Amino acid sequence: MGYVAVTGGQKAIEAADRINQWYRIKDAAHSLETIEIEKQLRHLTDRVMSEGGLYASEYAALAIKQAEGDLCEAAFLMRAYRSTLERTYESEIIDPGQMRVIRRISSAFKDIPGGQMLGPTMDYTHRLLNFTLENEQAHVLQELLKEQIPEFDTNQTLSFPKVAGLLREQGLLFPPKSSGALFDITRDKLTFPAPRSAKLQILARGETGAMTALAYSSMRGHTTNHPTVGELRVGYVEVTIAYPFDSSESLCLGELMLTEVETINAFERDDQGDVKLRLGYGLTFGQNETKAIAMAILEQGLETKGETPSQDEEFVLLHVDSIEANGFVSHLKLPHYITFQSKLDVLRQTQKLAESEKTETPKE
Amino acid sequence: MVTMTKQHLSRITSACSLPLLEEIAHKIEQEQRVRVEREPQTSLIMTKAKDSVSGQPFYLGEVLVTECTLSVDGQLGIGIVIGRQPLRAYCMAVIDAAHNAGLPVLDQWESQFHAEEQRIQEQHALEYARNAQSQVHFDTMEEYNDKR
Repeated sequence: MGYVAVTGGQKAIEAADRINQWYRIKDAAHSLETIEIEKQLRHLTDRVMSEGGLYASEYAALAIKQAEGDLCEAAFLMRAYRSTLERTYESEIIDPGQMRVIRRISSAFKDIPGGQMLGPTMDYTHRLLNFTLENEQAHVLQELLKEQIPEFDTNQTLSFPKVAGLLREQGLLFPPKSSGALFDITRDKLTFPAPRSAKLQILARGETGAMTALAYSSMRGHTTNHPTVGELRVGYVEVTIAYPFDSSESLCLGELMLTEVETINAFERDDQGDVKLRLGYGLTFGQNETKAIAMAILEQGLETKGETPSQDEEFVLLHVDSIEANGFVSHLKLPHYITFQSKLDVLRQTQKLAESEKTETPKE
Repeated sequence: MVTMTKQHLSRITSACSLPLLEEIAHKIEQEQRVRVEREPQTSLIMTKAKDSVSGQPFYLGEVLVTECTLSVDGQLGIGIVIGRQPLRAYCMAVIDAAHNAGLPVLDQWESQFHAEEQRIQEQHALEYARNAQSQVHFDTMEEYNDKR
C-alpha cells in the first residue's frame, strides 16, 4: 500500500523549532559569525558547496550554521535554495588546464613540468592535536606568516600543462568508451545507460563519504585495479559567459576554486593490439581532494565491465547523492502509522490463519 | 583611444577595488542618464567544464552570481559577478553601458584600471610564490642511499 499522510501537530512542530533554536544557542557565549565558518572551516564549506551543487561560499557557511554542522542537512538547504533562483546563463567551457594553481602533485612522476607544489595540505602533517589553537591569536599568526613573504615575479607563469597531456602526446592513453550528448541531470530525466556527461555531473555533486566508500571497495577487494594519481591540482579558474549583447565577446565573472584529479589506471590492449592506459577523471568545487580522487576511480570503474558494485552504473549513480540518500533514510522518522498498522493487520491475519489451520488439522 | 575586450575589462572590474568602481559609476551617474532595467539580483550560472578524458564538456554545477542590467544614454550594459555583490554588479553594469554608449570611460580611467590590474596580478603572483615555497622533489630511498 502507498504512504498515508498525517495532519495536525502544528503547535508541537512550532515548539520543536523553538527548542531546536534553544539547544543551538543556550550554551553559546556568542552567535557564530558565518564569515568565521566560511573563512576558517574551508573544507567544510567546500564540501557543502560541492555536495549541494551550488558554488556560494557565504550561503554554504550560513547553511552549516543553520544545520548546526549537519552536512547532509546543509547540502539539502543549498539544493533547496538553488531551486528558488533563476538560471540565467551557461558558462563557456572551463578548462582546468588553465588553472591558476595553488597546489599540484603527482604520485606517478617525480618530475613534472613546472614541478610539484604541496601548497595547503595536511598530507604530511603529524596527526597530533594542536592545543595551541585553543588560544590562538589570529592577528599574531597573520603577522608572523606575512613576514615570510618570498620574492615574487609578476611575470611568473601561474598555470601549467597537464601531466596527462604528456601521456596523450605519446599516444599512451585510451579515449573513453562512453560519451554521448551533453546531459543536465537537473533538467532531464536520467535513464540508463547514462551518457558520460551525466555520470560526471552526478559524481561532481555526490556525497563524499558514499563516493569514498565505493571507491575504496573498488580498490580494496573487488578488483586488482589500483590507480595512480597522475596529477592532482587545486586552484582557481575563471568563469566566463558569452556577452549577452554580442556573443563574439566574453564576460569574466570572477574565479572559482576547483580540485581536479586525473588517475592513471590499468593498461589494456586496444582493438589494434596496442597496449594503452586508461585515465580516470575527477573535478569538484572547492578543495575536496578525497572526493575528486574517488570520482576519478568511480567514473573509470563505470567505463569498464565487471561484476563489482562499483562497476554497476545504476547502483553507483543512484546511491551517491547526499540529498536523496539522506532524505530517504531519514524519512523513516516521519509517521508511518497506517503503513505499519497494515503490516500488523497482515501479521495478525496470518497468525489467525495459522492457528485455524492447526486446529483443523486432525491429530494422528 | 584605449581599447579593451569585454573579457579583459570585466576581469579587472570583477576583482578590483570596489571604491574605485563606485567613484567611476558615480561620475557617470552625475553626467549621463542612467536607467536601471533590472535591479541587481542573485541568479545562477550553470558551469560547463572540460572533461580531459573525453575532451567533451559536462555540467559541473551552478554558481551564485549577482546580475544587473541598465542603460546609459539609452545604451544597454550588464554587470555579472560571482557571489552576492549587488553594488559591484551595479557599478560593472554602469561602466559596461557607458562603454557601449561610446563614452571615453577607458580613456578617463586608464591609469586607475592599469594600476588595479597590476595590483591583482601582484596578488596572484604573491599567492603563487607563497605556495611555491612548498615545491617538492621527493627522492626514492634508493636515490637517498646512493647520495649518502
